[in-house]
Amino acid sequence: MRRPSFRSLVGGAAGIAAGVIAGIGLTSLSAASPPALGFHIGLEAGHVPPVLTLPGEPVRLRYAIVCRPRDDGEPCDGSGEVYVREGQGGSFQQLALTRDADSYAGRYFVDLPPSIAGSERGFSYYAVLRDDSTGATVTVPSGGAAAPQRSLPLRQMMGIDLGVHSFGQTQKPDARAVDAQWGSDVGQAGLAGSRELGFVGPSAFDVDAGGRVTLLDQVNRRVERWTRGRAEATPVAVSGGLADFVAEPDGTLDVLEPPDRLTSAPVLRSFRPDGSARWTQQLADRTWAKLDVGPEGPVVQQQPSEQWRPVAEHGLALGRAAQAVRGRTGRPLANGRDVVVERRGRAEIRIAEVAGNAVVRSWRIVGTTPLGEVQLVEPLGSRIVLVAKAYTEDRSEDVVVVLDRTGIAQSFSVDPHEWAEAAALARFRLAGSSLYQLGSAPSGAFVDRFDLEVER
Amino acid sequence: MKAFLMAFGVGLVLAAASGAQAYHRFWAGCNYDAPTFMTTMTRDAGQDYSNAARYEGYQWGGGCWNYDDVDSYPYDAPGDASTHGEGGDCSGLTFKTWRESTDQWRDGRYYWRALRNVHGPYTAGGFKSGQGAPNHTVNKSTAGVMDAFASDTHIGMVFFRTLYGGDQIVEAKCEACGTNIFYRTYRSDPNYGGVGRWGWTG
Repeated sequence: MRRPSFRSLVGGAAGIAAGVIAGIGLTSLSAASPPALGFHIGLEAGHVPPVLTLPGEPVRLRYAIVCRPRDDGEPCDGSGEVYVREGQGGSFQQLALTRDADSYAGRYFVDLPPSIAGSERGFSYYAVLRDDSTGATVTVPSGGAAAPQRSLPLRQMMGIDLGVHSFGQTQKPDARAVDAQWGSDVGQAGLAGSRELGFVGPSAFDVDAGGRVTLLDQVNRRVERWTRGRAEATPVAVSGGLADFVAEPDGTLDVLEPPDRLTSAPVLRSFRPDGSARWTQQLADRTWAKLDVGPEGPVVQQQPSEQWRPVAEHGLALGRAAQAVRGRTGRPLANGRDVVVERRGRAEIRIAEVAGNAVVRSWRIVGTTPLGEVQLVEPLGSRIVLVAKAYTEDRSEDVVVVLDRTGIAQSFSVDPHEWAEAAALARFRLAGSSLYQLGSAPSGAFVDRFDLEVER
Repeated sequence: MKAFLMAFGVGLVLAAASGAQAYHRFWAGCNYDAPTFMTTMTRDAGQDYSNAARYEGYQWGGGCWNYDDVDSYPYDAPGDASTHGEGGDCSGLTFKTWRESTDQWRDGRYYWRALRNVHGPYTAGGFKSGQGAPNHTVNKSTAGVMDAFASDTHIGMVFFRTLYGGDQIVEAKCEACGTNIFYRTYRSDPNYGGVGRWGWTG
């Protein structure tokens, strides 16, 4: 081998030095770049629609208009109009939004005229919100006139007062349907996270008519189905985020995933019963609350529309625009009706079963103890099962209320068992006359069964 | 010349694989400018600010991001501040959105722009207890837009309330989650307390 010359040694050293300097320079250039506002940072909105109103109740519609941040730190220079009509058909009347001094619950508002707010046929509306500095607009809900917000009057509702909630008197389950230790073997459930960051367990589950429980074990990228105490695992290609889940009657597995570090929008993933991917569809809205199955396929309750929107019909995915124009206020039921839910104020829940544009039956539940999220509202024969959270600053319990025409047919409380995090509204399912609860503890995840009283 | 070019290539590879990567990552382009002292601070300006941090990622102990809608370093090791990636963590995002001072005794309003690298002195647990002059605890049932819910390990701000009683929460939750708006039930969770910022002007 020839000895390197002095000249080549110097050249090599200079080359390495120049390469390192250039590399550092390039790496620095690829670090933080000037704050060019990205594509997604457009106009956003917030609105909670008054979907069930009482006679004589004034209606103020409030909106948040969220723009690109201004360099001077001041809020969005916004404006907008609400297009509203009496009843559920006909032409809309335009009303301008007023800018309030406070934005605690949305800065922009309009008070509906009593003739519209008090209409016996209810009212329907949508809003066009504007960033006046750019001229950008957003329609809420995005289906606009084709799928507006719908509000219905409660005229003959059943009033129920839950009073002060008595903590510490919870009901024990009738059976433990699934008991899975933390782990990755079949029959176990995956646990992610740490004591410092918090733990995440199975994020959702479903139960079929025969009482078979299917657990979304997203940490282990699989679903597990328990049949007579024996578990069977099916791998599914999911991201591992906190997802909601349903198993459709034909065996299709639907996983509703949140946005994550690589995917900016939520998606519904549809899998065949063997776990192979069928399709993935982006939601129409930016945020989801709950996944369920309607008569024609999976439906998702979303924000900011606050509508239930189908993501597929008869096994075929719907595009975002098609989802938006099919949005509806209530969750579609198997009997062709809708169930409409509104939790309002500090401790009030309104529920209506709706056929077309008519309220068939309705309940107004109030309490003294604050009522939190509504986990489940589901028909059970001629009754309705409600599961909602009662909470104080340092305690909470799930309250189960079975409603009928006379008021409360049955009521009890359940320990939340939320040691590990799950999807927000995925902790309860009703199958047959049994209520199932997904829970977790330091030892593992489980599904408990509560048998409800049946009508005689 | 041939030796120089070959060695130049080796040098580039070395630079990419070594300390240059560890210490000249996203934070290399962040700044340490003084914040802008402001007399106003509205909740909807807070919505604008936190909403714009969506898609920009999560960095444990971090507080610097741009607005290009991409997490420049999405696979940093969780719980490691030395990775110097893009994004805030939960308390860093809250601190900057709430325009707080790095001095806990100051309750004025300090506007930190996105590329200003600052996390602030508070942990999630600190916020939960109402630590610092600008912060206080609030009744959970009354928490509104840009109030927050904090546990010992996490804090997220109310973006808007919802029909079913949960909340749309804007938060930097974890490395894999990034920063975004999620539907959460922190309001009724006993592990979480309500937290507020004094001094909103609208």
